[in-house]
Amino acid sequence: MTRPHRACHHPRMQGQPEVATDAVIHVVGLTKRYGDLVAVDGIDFDVARGEVFGLLGPNGAGKTTTVEVLEGLRVQDGGTATVLGHDVATEADLLKPRIGVSLQTAALYPKLTVTEVIDLFRSFYANPRSTEELIGALELGERRNARTSDLSGGQRQRLAVALALVNDPELIFLDEPTTGLDPAARRSLWDLVRSLKREGKSVLLTTHYMEEAEVLCDRLAIMDHGHILEMGTVDELVSKRFLERAVRFDDDPALPDEVLAALPAVASVKHDDDAVLLYTLDVAATIGALLSAAEARGVEPKNLGVRRATLEDVFLDLTGRALRD
Amino acid sequence: MHALMALTRANIKSYTRDRAAVFWTLAFPLVFIVMFGLIFQGGSSNLTLAWVDDDHSAQSAELRAEFAAQPGVKLVDTTQSDGISQMQVGKVDSVIVVPAGYGASVAAITNGTPGAPAQVPVYTDPSRPNVTAQVFQVAGAVFGVVNLAGRPPVVVPVVQTVQTQNLNAISYFVPSMLGLSVMQVGIFAAIPLVADREKLILKRLAATPLRRWQLVGSNVLMRLLIAMVQAVIIVAVGSLAFGVEIVGSLLLTAGFVALGAVAFLSLGYVIASFAKTEDSANGMTSMIQFPMMFLSGAFFQIDQMPPFLQVIARLIPLTYLADALRQVMVGGAAFAPLWVCAAVLAGWLVVCFGIASRKFRWQ
Repeated sequence: MTRPHRACHHPRMQGQPEVATDAVIHVVGLTKRYGDLVAVDGIDFDVARGEVFGLLGPNGAGKTTTVEVLEGLRVQDGGTATVLGHDVATEADLLKPRIGVSLQTAALYPKLTVTEVIDLFRSFYANPRSTEELIGALELGERRNARTSDLSGGQRQRLAVALALVNDPELIFLDEPTTGLDPAARRSLWDLVRSLKREGKSVLLTTHYMEEAEVLCDRLAIMDHGHILEMGTVDELVSKRFLERAVRFDDDPALPDEVLAALPAVASVKHDDDAVLLYTLDVAATIGALLSAAEARGVEPKNLGVRRATLEDVFLDLTGRALRD
Repeated sequence: MHALMALTRANIKSYTRDRAAVFWTLAFPLVFIVMFGLIFQGGSSNLTLAWVDDDHSAQSAELRAEFAAQPGVKLVDTTQSDGISQMQVGKVDSVIVVPAGYGASVAAITNGTPGAPAQVPVYTDPSRPNVTAQVFQVAGAVFGVVNLAGRPPVVVPVVQTVQTQNLNAISYFVPSMLGLSVMQVGIFAAIPLVADREKLILKRLAATPLRRWQLVGSNVLMRLLIAMVQAVIIVAVGSLAFGVEIVGSLLLTAGFVALGAVAFLSLGYVIASFAKTEDSANGMTSMIQFPMMFLSGAFFQIDQMPPFLQVIARLIPLTYLADALRQVMVGGAAFAPLWVCAAVLAGWLVVCFGIASRKFRWQ
């Protein structure tokens, strides 16, 4: 059965791995409804082995639903999803021993200690990693005998990741792993995801933080209202839409807009608080001319820099909304 | 199997670290029994004796006066057969029979004629050791006074035993309390289960290879274990501290505790199927618990209730669990035959489990 689904804005990126050759996740036309609400509306994507793939989007975009179908926790209403070669709708039992899962909310047995919860989860798998190894890897040694209810947000997330790694899985799902964490805890979790990648594991993570997606993901899909709007590497997503770069410096009355607009390659001039932004297709030419013009007037542009467009700009451009919660 | 045991252990640890849960399931019934026990122990210092005078002599009247003078003793004049039947239904604690010829033999010995002392049968129930001891204390005091008048002794008590059917209050109450505790262990299972679902623990477990039967199995095992611990504590305190004699089979008692626990556990699963939040599970548990408690005959005998309440009492499972436990443990009068009690509990188990297996949401 096929259902209408909105095609992506652009054809699939070239250079993306071919489907199914070494894909750990292969999703075609995946659809999931809750009553009248279409939470996931016919999405397609693949995740290659060893890749950190991100689903980026605001709350309610359908990220968690997608992940839960892939984890075998929900059955889709349409389309197919294959994870590690298993159809998630029919072979979830074969799949579950091979994946690691960290849910969005990581409250786990509040009255048990870190070691007890890890040992409990170890009992569910045939060949679990040792408790010591996991506690060491997740830096939970000092809190091993603390009850999970006494852990900080960051520690709790690390425990949730430790539980996702108990069975030494090939593929790990991390649903909003850093939501609600302070910057230090967030960075420590990022380091953890990077070390998983170094170990050759594949990771599917969801996030609504642009920075996180930029820093961690090899490739990502931007989701909104159950659709994938764009997919690719961060560079591809940004440079495809924003060919221009912005040359910025502190506003100076000696350099009026009409002078700046006449500089070579400048497409537009914008002001952002006390800064001037020159959007240009040729950064070198623009900066050279800018410096000459400034020197001729006896001034020097202060805090000169070049800014590239970010995922934030991409999301804004795609949806007309800022991605902030 | 490993996962089942590990999960059971984890559940038990979670339970024992939850002070409120431990209090309500283990300490609360105990507090109740101790309270009840102390109240009824205090009250039972009053003895009611059936007084049977087959002699009608001055000496027998004198003996009656001595008994009546003992503190806390009340005499009921009656015949021997009536006295015994009154004792069997618990209206009197003991029957004392002054046989014909008592006055003559007392008078003879007092006047120096050698002869056997007069024998006075005293009926007691050995399964009520507290009361028996009290009866002999009183009888000993009285006969001591009478015997001072002549030596050698003029009168000796002759112990006669009667098996009483009716129970004193604490013996009635202890099996009821056990039934009540088993009910709580079962239906209270709804609360942590709904909490685990709310905290997405059930969902997280669903993402592991753990099977649902292992999850349910560990829950059942843990609750059965708590019910058994409860039974041991309640029976031990009842019999050691308050002299409740356990006359029946401990194995059969354990069997009914187990059957009751799983029946109420399945009722707990029904609650967990309909309660969305931990708070609503709490509310629904109380809503079911309190009417059961008061309508089940656990505290009040069913035949003393108004007729329309009796109809309800006949439907609720606690009635049958408490009744079965009372019959098995202390030989209480049957409200329903044991097999009927077992069948009703099994029926509740099947129906509730059927509903829960259709309606329960794992996520």
